Amino acid sequence: MTPRWRWWFIGALSLAVVIAAIYLPILRRNIRQAAKLQQRSEEQARRELTQPTVVNPSDPKVKAKLFWASGADDGTISPVTVELPLATDPVLRSKQVLNTLLAGPVDTELRTLPPDAALLAFYLLPDGTAIADFSEALATSIPSGIESEQMAVDSIAKTLAANVPQVRRLKILIHGQEIETLAGHLDLSQAFVVNANAGPSPRAAAANAAPQPFLPDRKR
Amino acid sequence: MVLDPAHGGTDSGARGTGGIHESDIVLEFAAQVRTAFRSQGFQVVQTRQGNANPSFDDRSAMANAQRGAIFVTLHIASTGTPGTARVYVMNDLPSGTDATGLIPWDRAQAPFASLSRKLGDQVQILLAQRFKGSPSAAQIASVRQLRTTAAPAIAVEISSVTVEDRAQLDHMAPGVADAIARGAAAFRPTYVLPANPGERP
Repeated sequence: MTPRWRWWFIGALSLAVVIAAIYLPILRRNIRQAAKLQQRSEEQARRELTQPTVVNPSDPKVKAKLFWASGADDGTISPVTVELPLATDPVLRSKQVLNTLLAGPVDTELRTLPPDAALLAFYLLPDGTAIADFSEALATSIPSGIESEQMAVDSIAKTLAANVPQVRRLKILIHGQEIETLAGHLDLSQAFVVNANAGPSPRAAAANAAPQPFLPDRKR
Repeated sequence: MVLDPAHGGTDSGARGTGGIHESDIVLEFAAQVRTAFRSQGFQVVQTRQGNANPSFDDRSAMANAQRGAIFVTLHIASTGTPGTARVYVMNDLPSGTDATGLIPWDRAQAPFASLSRKLGDQVQILLAQRFKGSPSAAQIASVRQLRTTAAPAIAVEISSVTVEDRAQLDHMAPGVADAIARGAAAFRPTYVLPANPGERP
């Protein structure tokens, strides 16, 4: 190789290095964004398959408060206001807000519930006790620990308290079963107080005065 | 003093990506806490020594069988800022006695709620002084292990199993042990036992 060609070769090589240095970070960012989008769309597809659509576009849009992690990494949760078409029926409304809560915030780091968890059923007893039945993933995919399990339950209870005033207490089931703890720490054997001052559900008036299961209250 | 290293047996508790298991770490923390308690003049009963996994009720029963016990359950979290420690006390339970005049087992913690808070705050203050970023007061959570314990009872949770190097947790153990033991020692004078067994504190 002549000295002239050697200079051309070194110059071309340097140019390639400079171009690579500029382009590679952009490429990496694009790949990350594409992966994130793909992950989100896969999650969305699964959600559409596993959960019945309970959103009725004709329902009036209201400002719903959903509680996710505050981001302070101190175990606290904070409300995020989201405009949603919500039904007036408390059971349907509860399903709508809980499904939105499960879908998670835009920033996935602020999730309080596992992305693969689903709400299987929701009932509201005449005395205002809500029974929320979640898939097993709620118990198996949640990070084990007092802090993380408490955040999960808090986010469910506070979201119901903020959006469904008829719910007084909350009992959580996993796949139709009563379980002792969520993931080894938090007590799920009894009901949580959601809204101690809530009035009776409109259904209560129409319902028979059947004896209700005893679910001791818990103040938070 | 009844010391409870949580989990054990097939229940390893929280697991970190680096192979850290909560059930192993809490057992090692418990050894240091036990030594710190003894240096403060406490007698110590431990709910498990090796890789056993007594039930929640069995662990509570060990505390409920002691008169004037203090109960501490040790945990390592999967979340939270690494290097911090939090104390939890049980939320309020409806108190009362059943038809026989005894406190129901599933609400055994109810009469001890305010004492547990005092103990929890004492320990949390000392933990916050040692581990920056820890809260300054005990927090309330519905911890299953605490509900059936008829004694001032706290759960101490350290963050976290997600640390890259297990040595980070090992370095915390002496400070955690000292804070718990000194907090319990500061609490002891305020813990007045009822004259007769079975009476409320």
